Amino acid sequence: MLNYDFKWSILWADPYGGWILEGVVTTVKLGILCCIFSMLIGVVIGTFRITQFKPLRIFAEAYTEFFRDIPLLVQLFFWYFAVPSLLPEEMRIWVYQEIPDFEFWIVVVGLSLYSSSRVAEQIRAGINSISPDQFNAALSTGFSHYQAYRYIIIPLAIRLVIPPLTTEILTIFKNTALAMTVGVLETTFMSQQVEAYTFHGLEATTAACVIYMIITLIVVGAMGWIEKLLAVPGLIVRKGANS
Amino acid sequence: MNFEWQVISNNLFFLMGGLVTTFELALIAIAGGLTLGILVGMGRLSTIKFIYYPATLFVNLMRTQPLILVIFWFYFLMPLILGRPIGGFTSAVIAFTIFEASYFAEIIRAGIQSISKGQIDAAYSTGFTYWQAMRYFIIPQALKNMMPSLITQAVVVFQDTSLAYVIGLREFLRSANVVDAREMRSVELYLFVGLVYFIVCFSMSQVCKKLELKKGNA
Amino acid sequence: MKKKLLFSTILMVMLVFTTGAIAADTLKRISDSATFNTGVRDGSIPFGFHNDKNELVGFSVDLAKEFHKALEKKLGKKLAFKTTVVNPKTRIPLVANGNLNMVTGSATHTVPREDTVDFSVTFFLTGSQLLVKKSGGYSTVKDLSGKKIGAAQGSTNEKTIRNLNKSGYFNPSVKLVVYQEHTQGMLALNNGIINAYCTDGSLLAGMKSKVKNSDDYMILGEMLSYDPYAYILPENDSNFRDFINEQLIRMFVDGRYMKYYEKWFGANGVVPFPMTDDFRTLLKLQSWPL
Repeated sequence: MLNYDFKWSILWADPYGGWILEGVVTTVKLGILCCIFSMLIGVVIGTFRITQFKPLRIFAEAYTEFFRDIPLLVQLFFWYFAVPSLLPEEMRIWVYQEIPDFEFWIVVVGLSLYSSSRVAEQIRAGINSISPDQFNAALSTGFSHYQAYRYIIIPLAIRLVIPPLTTEILTIFKNTALAMTVGVLETTFMSQQVEAYTFHGLEATTAACVIYMIITLIVVGAMGWIEKLLAVPGLIVRKGANS
Repeated sequence: MNFEWQVISNNLFFLMGGLVTTFELALIAIAGGLTLGILVGMGRLSTIKFIYYPATLFVNLMRTQPLILVIFWFYFLMPLILGRPIGGFTSAVIAFTIFEASYFAEIIRAGIQSISKGQIDAAYSTGFTYWQAMRYFIIPQALKNMMPSLITQAVVVFQDTSLAYVIGLREFLRSANVVDAREMRSVELYLFVGLVYFIVCFSMSQVCKKLELKKGNA
Repeated sequence: MKKKLLFSTILMVMLVFTTGAIAADTLKRISDSATFNTGVRDGSIPFGFHNDKNELVGFSVDLAKEFHKALEKKLGKKLAFKTTVVNPKTRIPLVANGNLNMVTGSATHTVPREDTVDFSVTFFLTGSQLLVKKSGGYSTVKDLSGKKIGAAQGSTNEKTIRNLNKSGYFNPSVKLVVYQEHTQGMLALNNGIINAYCTDGSLLAGMKSKVKNSDDYMILGEMLSYDPYAYILPENDSNFRDFINEQLIRMFVDGRYMKYYEKWFGANGVVPFPMTDDFRTLLKLQSWPL
């Protein structure tokens, strides 16, 4: 029934093993960079969404809807093929030729922006779930608005938001796989590259699956460790609905 | 930079054909994924170890994988298992159904858990069996409770269909790509693709918001 | 506990997969399913591509239709003609695992590929070349040193560029950008993301002719490799291979092949590509006595 010639040895044969390893390194680099940028942007947009200042709120809402309602693949294609042609000629040449690994960085841009909208959403949900009593209590004890945010609300929000953020980080790592469509040499790309040279697609794709499983385990473990590190004894943190 | 919007109107028929394929794929994936997801979600709450462990394994395994890899995997695997060739659309449907089922399963599981135990006790005391209770009382209520999450997930499935691009399926994004290769009008075409996706997904998420408001608090 | 379960499940799954390739019987499979399922290319001009009316046409598509007619005659029944679009990455696996009966596209016959699939006799002769924009001012292949060259993943052209880099032909070495298919590479070249795109000469001529700003491009003359095209066939299926070869030879001999060649590569064809003497001799020498 299974008319297939399995050859698992290709996975560690030279040079295919080296390629897969290269791919994993690229995936990790891509994932970490996108996490950092999307967190930074996401926190900013998230706070915009709950601020009293209406224009900022509207901007942040539009931002979130925009990036969430268009598929990531379409966004990546747009950034890679379409956007640079909008730039003036000299800038375009600089972008294409002077930036090493243009493909890698354009995916960082595209994926970070996409993920930042989702992070913003999580942060908004997190801050909203904090009872206004906390804020009022802080004010009545003499904290200023800024101090209340800085010392009470934000630290509480961070601890509340770690479980959904873990999901988000995993999503970012999984989304790095889409970079293969624009020529980034990450894990999925390399598994297909091994497949192209050896024609043993099942083994190569399985290897990539196992690699993503390992990445997931590491991320979940790391976030669990961070959560323990930041835990405040006695603080009851309500687990999010999507845990 | 001059824009040539007629590239869209000239190829509208072809592009819409791709959009139809996208809708077909999305609807089948949602229906299939939801059905399978209900079963797996129930399995996740089962006390029978023989059902609980495979269901949990399945869900946790699927959630570590990028969808694009799962699509490749089924594309290679399906013909080996079935012993005969199958089309791109079929293998995409299978990959999507199985993948999305794991996400639907988690939503359904949360939905079932949110229903008070009193409901199932009442059903049993009135003489219904487990399956009847599930079918007539628990699942419908769970679905109603989780409707916002389900719609959000449906929107995700709709967007994920664009990934069928990698196995050459002639869905919306790939149709635009085919036209782009000939006309070289990337900006106009991808803006159009983005706009169409945005309109569909945004309207769905608005429906979702209205539902959430009607329910009161989530 | 969960981890052990995961591990043992994976182990079990792995053990289930036994090895061993069985000889395929494609003719029987085609007869049983009443379908001739062939892979075709999209964006490989003029072997398989979408024309202005968005119909899938091409030189290899026409030859595939001839195979279909011959199959119907041989098997004595009506067969459905099904085409599946493939790209350089998927074309070989899809034949190797039985998804397709054959691929009528523009694949190069190489010795490593013989491990996984079989090939028909050579039906076309060409080699790897580079397509560049005239505005780049490149005149020889070596001018591209240190620049970006694109190629399709899994194609012989990609391997050619890699080997050239390794052998030091390019100094400094070029940056190879690998795309999923030719259409993406063409887009990238048009937008200036890459400086050159490498694929077989005939395909380049086709891509250049199809694009709106055709005059902006030129093909650099030097052939970087020898690329004989053949149709991809399932491994270990002598009967089917003999059948396809017989059909090709009949077409060489009775003039149908030249008719199609004129249609697509002739002076009025989609891609003017005069037949070289080597090419003509190759067709003659491959035509075994019928």
